Amino acid sequence: MSLISMEFLVFVVLAAAGYYLIPRKYQWMWLLGFSYVYYLSGGIRAACFLAFTTVTSWLAGIGVESVSGRISDRKKAGRKKKQITACALILNFGILGVLKYTNFAIGTVSHLTGADFDMMQLLLPLGISFYTFQSMGYILDIYWGRTKAEHNLFRFALFVSFFPQILQGPIGRFSTLGSQLYESHSFDRSRTEQAVLRILWGYFKKMVIADNAVIFVNAIFDHPDIYDGLGIIGVLGYSIQLYCDFSGGMDVVIGIGELFGIKLDENFRRPYFAVSITDFWHRWHITLGTWMKDYVFYPVSLSGWMKSFSGFARKTCGKQNGRTLPICLANIIVFLVVGIWHGAAWKFIIYGLYNGLIIAFSGLMAPSYRKWKKAFHISGDSRGFHLFQIARTFLLVNISWFFDRAEDVPTALLMMKNTLTHFDLHQILEPGIEIGEASGTTYTLIAIGVVLCGCLLVFAVSLMEEQGRKLSEIFERQNWLVKSAVYLCLILALPALGQPSGEAGGFIYAQF
Amino acid sequence: MEKLLEILEDIQPDADFDTCETLIDDGVLDSFAILSIVSELQEEFGISITPADIIPENFNSAKALWAMVVRLQDE
Repeated sequence: MSLISMEFLVFVVLAAAGYYLIPRKYQWMWLLGFSYVYYLSGGIRAACFLAFTTVTSWLAGIGVESVSGRISDRKKAGRKKKQITACALILNFGILGVLKYTNFAIGTVSHLTGADFDMMQLLLPLGISFYTFQSMGYILDIYWGRTKAEHNLFRFALFVSFFPQILQGPIGRFSTLGSQLYESHSFDRSRTEQAVLRILWGYFKKMVIADNAVIFVNAIFDHPDIYDGLGIIGVLGYSIQLYCDFSGGMDVVIGIGELFGIKLDENFRRPYFAVSITDFWHRWHITLGTWMKDYVFYPVSLSGWMKSFSGFARKTCGKQNGRTLPICLANIIVFLVVGIWHGAAWKFIIYGLYNGLIIAFSGLMAPSYRKWKKAFHISGDSRGFHLFQIARTFLLVNISWFFDRAEDVPTALLMMKNTLTHFDLHQILEPGIEIGEASGTTYTLIAIGVVLCGCLLVFAVSLMEEQGRKLSEIFERQNWLVKSAVYLCLILALPALGQPSGEAGGFIYAQF
Repeated sequence: MEKLLEILEDIQPDADFDTCETLIDDGVLDSFAILSIVSELQEEFGISITPADIIPENFNSAKALWAMVVRLQDE
C-alpha cells in the first residue's frame, strides 16, 4: 500500500478514528493490528521475515536480561550475554545481507572471473533495513544495560512493526518509542491540527517538488550522453529531489505518528545549512547517523584491536595524531557501512568512502585549521565565514550525489568532468520537450517553475526554522480562517501541481 | 580533576568546562571529541571505557566525567 494513495489515507483515517473510540487500554493492540494489516498488504512472505526478526529479537532481549539474574559469576554472565547478542545479530544481519547483497556478490564474481553466473530471485521485504536496525539496536541497548527488555511479545511486535515508520524510518529507540506506543492517548485537537499540517506539508514536498524534479533528474542522469552539458542542473535537481522526497516522507510519517499522540524522532534538521560534512550528517538522516555512532562507531573505536592500533599510532605518530588516527579509521569504517547500507553497488561504497575520508581528513586537520584561523584573524562567528562554510559543504555534498545517483562510478566521473568542461544550459532551454520524451514522461518548462517556486517556499520555511522560529507555533497562533486557507492551498496544490505518483514512483528510501 | 581539565582543554580549547553541564545535550562535544577524550582518559588513568559508558550522563560535564573516571578506577 503506497503512502501516496487514497487507500492509504482511508487506512490512516480509520486507524486514527478507531484509536480514540475504543477503550484506551486496547489502543496499542489496535495499532499492532493495523500495523500487521498494513505490512501483510505487501505479501505474506515478507511478513514472515518481519515476524522472524521480531521473535528472535524478543527472545534475545529476554535472554540477555535474564543472564545477570541466573549467573552470579560476572565474567561467565558477560560471556553468555555476548553469545546471545552475537547470535541474534548474526542471524538477523545475515538475513539482511543475504537478501540484499547476494546478487551484488554474484555480479562482482561474474565480472572478475568472466563467468556468467545467474542472478538469484530473492525477495527483499519492504523496510527490512529499517526494522532490522531498530531491532538490533534494541538488543544492543539491553546488552549494554541502557534499556530493559520487553517481556510481552505482542507489545514488542508493535515496536518493530509500527506502520507509519516501518518502510523508511525514522529508526526508533526502545527507550523513547516503546513507552509512547504502549501508553494510552486521548484526542487532542491542537495536536491533530499540527499533525495534519505536517502530513500535508510532507506530501507537498514529495508530490509537488520531488516528483516534478525527478523527471528532468532522471532524463539527465539516465542519458548523460544526450544531456552532457547539464550535469550541474541534474545534480542540483537531484539534491532537491532527494531532500524533498526523503524529508517529505518523514514529515508524512512523523505527522501520522502525531495523529496517535506518538512523537517519532526527527530525521532531518535543514541539512543544506550544514557548515561541514560532519554537521551535514548530524542534520541528514539523523536516526541512521546516531544509530551508526552508537552501535558501530563507538564499539569499533573502543575495540581491542583499535586500542592496539591507538598504542602503535601514539608511538609512531606522536600524541596528537596517535589519538586522532584511530578515530579517523573508525569514521572511514562507519561510512563504508553507511555506503553499503545505501545499496549493493560499488558506487555506494565510493559514496560512503568519500564521506568518511572527508570527515577523517577534517579531524586530522582540525588543530591546523584552528591555528590558520588565528593566524589569518578569521572569526569563526562572522557571517561571511559562515556562508563560506555552508557553500563549501553544499558543493562537497553535491559531488557525493553524483556517485549516489549516476548509473555507476565511471558515469559519475564522466558527468563531473562534463560539468567542469562542457556546461551548456541551452540543452535545457531549447530541446526542453525532448527531456520529457527521453525519460518517458511529460515535461514542460512549467515543471521547472513549479520546482523553483516550491524550493523557494521550502527555503523560506527552513530559514525561519534555522533562525529559531517554529512554523508549527506560528500556525498554532492563527485563527481558523487562516488555518483552513493553508490546508486548502496545500490540498489543492497536490493534484494541481504534483505529478501522479505512478509516473514519478514511490519514496526513494522505501526501497531500503 | 586538574589533570582531567587539562586534557579537556587541550582537546576542545573553546569550551567552558568549568561551568557547562550540557556538553553533550548542547552539542559542545561531538563524537570525535568524545573519543579523543576517551582515548586520553584511558591512557592517563589506566581505565577501560566501554560503549556502555558513553552516555550523556557521563559526558555532560567535567564533574560527571571525573565521577566516571573514579568509578572505573574502583572497578
